[in-house]
Amino acid sequence: MRSVWILALTVAFASGSVVAEEPTLEELMRKIEALEERDRERQERIERLETELRAADAVERQTAEERRDTDRPARPAAAGTGPQADPLDPVPARMRARSVTGEVTSGTAFNPAISVILDGTYAHFSDHIDDPAGFESGHGHGGHGHGGHGISEGFNLREAEITFTGSVDPYFDMMVMASVSESDIELEEAFITTRSLPAGLQVKAGKFLSDVGYINKHHIHDWYFVDQPWMRELMFGDEGLNEVGAQLSWLAPFDTYTRFGLEVLEGTSPGVASYIGDGRHEMVTVLPGDSNQPVRNRWRADKNLRDRDGPRLFTGFVKWAPDLGFDHAMQLGAFGGISQVWQNEEGHSSGRLETWDGDSQFIGADLVYKFGRGGLLGDGNFVLQAEYVYRELDVEYQSRQFTDFSNLALTGPSDDPDRRDQLWKQDAFYLQGVYGFAPRWNAGLRVDGVGLTNRAFDDGTDALGRRGMRDDLDASWRYSGQVTFAPTEFSRLRGQISYNDIAGGHEAWQFMLQYNMSLGVHGAHAF
Amino acid sequence: MKRLFLTLMLSLAAMAAHAEVRVVATVPNMGMLVETVGGDAVRVTVLAPPDRDAHYLEARPSMMAALRRADLVVAVGAELEVGWLSAALQGAHNPSVQPGRQGYFEGAAHTDLIQVGGAADRAMGDVHPAGNPHYYFDALKMAEVAEALAVRLGELAPEHAERFEANAAEFAEQAREHVERWQARAEGAPGAVFYHKDADYLAALLSVEILGYIEPLPGIPPTARHLSELVGSLRGKEGVILYADFQPSRGPEFVSRELGWQQHQLPNQVDIGADSQAYFELINRWVEALSP
Repeated sequence: MRSVWILALTVAFASGSVVAEEPTLEELMRKIEALEERDRERQERIERLETELRAADAVERQTAEERRDTDRPARPAAAGTGPQADPLDPVPARMRARSVTGEVTSGTAFNPAISVILDGTYAHFSDHIDDPAGFESGHGHGGHGHGGHGISEGFNLREAEITFTGSVDPYFDMMVMASVSESDIELEEAFITTRSLPAGLQVKAGKFLSDVGYINKHHIHDWYFVDQPWMRELMFGDEGLNEVGAQLSWLAPFDTYTRFGLEVLEGTSPGVASYIGDGRHEMVTVLPGDSNQPVRNRWRADKNLRDRDGPRLFTGFVKWAPDLGFDHAMQLGAFGGISQVWQNEEGHSSGRLETWDGDSQFIGADLVYKFGRGGLLGDGNFVLQAEYVYRELDVEYQSRQFTDFSNLALTGPSDDPDRRDQLWKQDAFYLQGVYGFAPRWNAGLRVDGVGLTNRAFDDGTDALGRRGMRDDLDASWRYSGQVTFAPTEFSRLRGQISYNDIAGGHEAWQFMLQYNMSLGVHGAHAF
Repeated sequence: MKRLFLTLMLSLAAMAAHAEVRVVATVPNMGMLVETVGGDAVRVTVLAPPDRDAHYLEARPSMMAALRRADLVVAVGAELEVGWLSAALQGAHNPSVQPGRQGYFEGAAHTDLIQVGGAADRAMGDVHPAGNPHYYFDALKMAEVAEALAVRLGELAPEHAERFEANAAEFAEQAREHVERWQARAEGAPGAVFYHKDADYLAALLSVEILGYIEPLPGIPPTARHLSELVGSLRGKEGVILYADFQPSRGPEFVSRELGWQQHQLPNQVDIGADSQAYFELINRWVEALSP
């Protein structure tokens, strides 16, 4: 070692890089001794660290063995053998749980994975956007302006979606997703899934987006357009079919992906399972009294809607996806559901109350096809999506009027009072294609159609004396085109133009801009 | 219904009939390793084709169907497959291959990674704070992984355990021989520009200097400004440009033209079903390209 130092110093002096007076041999020797001392200290430090590493590694190995005797501990860390580790090297991934002070702790590493997705829009409409005929808010079919994902003109901060995911223990995973908007916080999804059930079974429980169809369980982030298809919004609700309940699904052990599922749900989604339950209809007015003073009058009467505890909605689905090689993927699905209750009410200031009380069922099919040859950042990828849903609402309609402060009586003539059976048959579909025309860029077209079947049967007599089918409403159409720029998989900027051709309403153009960004852990997207 | 039931029973019977270990490998290089160690005692399905960037795949139903029936999943790990493997595993309804179970094997946990640490800040691009996951470019690290894999396979099929370990030892021996030869071959290599940080392990193994990257930041496609800066900083130096078959060639070709350097577009992964010989040949092509 000494010879090395002498050599090094000699070279340094010879090259003239050290500007100093001619040193004496004594000084040189002193310097060499000092350097040797430093070297010894470093050597000791390295040995000490190596010992610590070995000790810590032993602890790690021991705990690993205790934890899982079937699993062999990871290969011992470099301590003397294998690749040389210097004290200042970054800590290998396997050892990061160990703190600098040496104790073996997981610290805060048990925190769930967190991600935040921010979504904002700017929108301009050429005219008021009406509800398609047969799907008016007044009839309780979905309806706009409930705060959901509906877009209004001007700047909108639609939501900040905060998601926590993680494994509860070896048996359960959990996900909690809160949607924070400017005015409120809503639990969008919060559920557990099993991770240890045998035979390809999995149970999900909590509040979740139903697996019926394809787009229903997708969040804003996964839509290829600024807004959701009418099918999801008008047939199920602003939030899709999002219910509290439980799901059992089975992945068959076949070569091709085949999954069956059943869901037992509380039943609250406005489109197919709206529920009010019994209660009192109340109306308060102020009338002039004897000397014209204001007198408060309160009318109150039973609504006479059925009370029924959940679960009220039962759905089932099957998904099948043949293996088409690495470039192509396709999934076909069929689904259906029965709701034991579908209720709605509309109170009028005239003292009239309209109620609908019955049940509903729906059935549908979905298809998604994806093509991708592995082009850079989505270049050349193509996604085709199509879904169709048909629903029937079988309800008893009543129109009642307050006859006194505590009594609601049917309106209409006594021989044909306003209590009828109604049967609504309606459907909706969308078809969309999105193509990645350049790295980071994609463009898509979508057609929405609702009410291709749009019939209301009514066994009462109408004003013209007709009985039977009352309405055969037209279909409404919407055509949308979008262009998206996605700088990375974490950010998305999108522009969209839609043309609304609405039966029983205005035609209107919509122009929308959107940004959607995600922060935090790298989310993995299910197919 | 009867037919469905019969199909079901037959497929269940078929599952019980063969004793081989069903392994799902995420990428072809890991599939090669499983084949090499497992021989005919394993049956391997590979989820990703060789000509794809494993960062950017999507979970597909066919992956879930394969994982549903797997005894063991062999991943590269270190978050290379973060965008799709966890979703595919969750959709697979197969508890025995979930992370933390015996049926989940991540090679990155059995070798020391480089570039560990660093800020987990995506302003720096698609960073991997857990370490660079492309260790399959280092045959010695692959040998370490092979030895750990042999142990794991031995737990799943104890009757073949010795064979697995012998196969892994043979692979390790071959890897050492190749690496020795490669290191001699690359002696005095001028240094290289890569597209992405994928071949960094090879550069470290051969002590070849990395002169720059075509990407301005990991996962961010090259910009004109970055390329001109890169060219400016390298003008007058010697080197080669290497990139993978799924990486676009425009940037590398520009730099190659400007600097008069050779550029080589090479596969990143072996073909599906390839053996260890094909793997060593693949790395050999990179070594030859690095050592003009």
